[in-house]
Amino acid sequence: MTDAAAGSRTVAAPAVGTALRALLEADLVVQLRNLRAVALSTILPLVLLFGTFAGKRAQILGDPRFKVAACMMLGMATIALLGYSMSMARDRDAGVFQRLRVTPTPPWAIMASRLAIQVLAMLVMAVVVLVAATLFENVALDAGGYVLTLFAVVFSSAMFLSIAQALVGLIRSTDTLNAVSRLAYIPLFALGLLGHTDILGTTLETIARWSPGGVVATMLGGAMSPTTWNGETWTAVLVVLAYAAVFAGAGIRWFRWTAS
Amino acid sequence: MSGRNSGGGGGLALAVTDLRVSYGQKRAVDGVSLEIEDGEIFGLLGPNGAGKTTTLSAIEGLLRPDSGTVVVHGVDARANPLRAKAMVGVQLQSTGFQAALTILEIVKLYAGLYGLARSRNELLEALEGVGLADEASRRFAQLSGGQQKRLSLLIATIHDPALVLLDEPTAGLDPQARRQLWNRIERIRQSGRSIMLTTHSMEEAQAVCDRVAILDHGKILAVDTPAGLIEKHRDDPRVVGVAHGQVTLDDVFIGLTGQDYRD
Repeated sequence: MTDAAAGSRTVAAPAVGTALRALLEADLVVQLRNLRAVALSTILPLVLLFGTFAGKRAQILGDPRFKVAACMMLGMATIALLGYSMSMARDRDAGVFQRLRVTPTPPWAIMASRLAIQVLAMLVMAVVVLVAATLFENVALDAGGYVLTLFAVVFSSAMFLSIAQALVGLIRSTDTLNAVSRLAYIPLFALGLLGHTDILGTTLETIARWSPGGVVATMLGGAMSPTTWNGETWTAVLVVLAYAAVFAGAGIRWFRWTAS
Repeated sequence: MSGRNSGGGGGLALAVTDLRVSYGQKRAVDGVSLEIEDGEIFGLLGPNGAGKTTTLSAIEGLLRPDSGTVVVHGVDARANPLRAKAMVGVQLQSTGFQAALTILEIVKLYAGLYGLARSRNELLEALEGVGLADEASRRFAQLSGGQQKRLSLLIATIHDPALVLLDEPTAGLDPQARRQLWNRIERIRQSGRSIMLTTHSMEEAQAVCDRVAILDHGKILAVDTPAGLIEKHRDDPRVVGVAHGQVTLDDVFIGLTGQDYRD
């Protein structure tokens, strides 16, 4: 602090838990201050929810569970691809990570804090969507269904965030990343939404069902109705984890802390 | 150094031996060795692209050197990077903080990263020490250049490190702000810490540094006190050829590194 009153008197690096707590607190404040992103990631799924349950569209899109799942998927894709990846790129450009890295904080803690806040944001969004679906669209789940759905959201968030991480790792230019993230966002969500309809032909429907968005929709749909959980749902869970591992591997392998 | 964030290495705050760093095929730092004693202010001078920031980055742990050792108060920085970082305070050439955080929140974050739990009053007192208490609720981008440098220096020293590394700390500052920062650097030294700084300003090197090293093309060309460097190279033809009257540190620097444009 002032020279006379300064600092701790220890030589050892501070406990990781202490540093992680400081990072989590700061990252949470940053997330809450970004009201536009918070609003976007919650309002978009709600708009989709009320839109898909209205009028003739309600029949076209089939099972109500998959509509709710699609809404949560939209929220997660928004948080990961339009929120997380861009905030990482901007902070990388600004030298925020370099400043953090000269402190005695393990690099994994810097990343873990950021990711944890994003997972929390996704869980909050999912709760809002589930509550809205229950109150306004009569999609009520039993207690086990709600718990399982929130676990599925955590698994799904790992996949969406790993895709965002891969994009940040592979693309160093913030402008290019912005464009690519928006391009990836649309098919990622659209394939998940359409994979559980009869709108597409057989081949396209198969591709859509096993695309990242499609397997997340399958997993979330299964979680919302535990009695229908079957072999395909388990396979979807494994594929979600596989996607997460592959994209996270790319994101970690090619991620650089500086833009230059 | 008792009570300070020091490993108690006994006299040497920093020992760098045969440091080599490459960017692809280009060797940016080529066998740099230097030592900084407790309570010493050491300046690293060099033209653009000489390897000053790369040398500092390797010491700070931001870059992995090809070879060489970095020892901070007896702690091998490559073997125990977190422990070494706990004893070092760093002001980067270009500092960025999370844009959404206020100045007070930034200071709280960095105190926390060094394991320091500070109350709001203690944080405000720290900001008061660098004349920024009134700016506590503002964002980093809203500060003037001088205020940003003062905040960076506060954060670099918030954990009372034994060694402070400053990369061009006064670049872009007006004479008043620069003079104030020199005074603050001197106060940091008087509190027993060692400081290593890079600068393009010979005036700064002479005013602040106990010893300086002249670095070019990744190699150290000379190390001595500013007065010692002038004395040693007073009759060097390369220096005499560029001097206008009495030989200055600037003449020694130009004489040793040449007059060509750099990157």
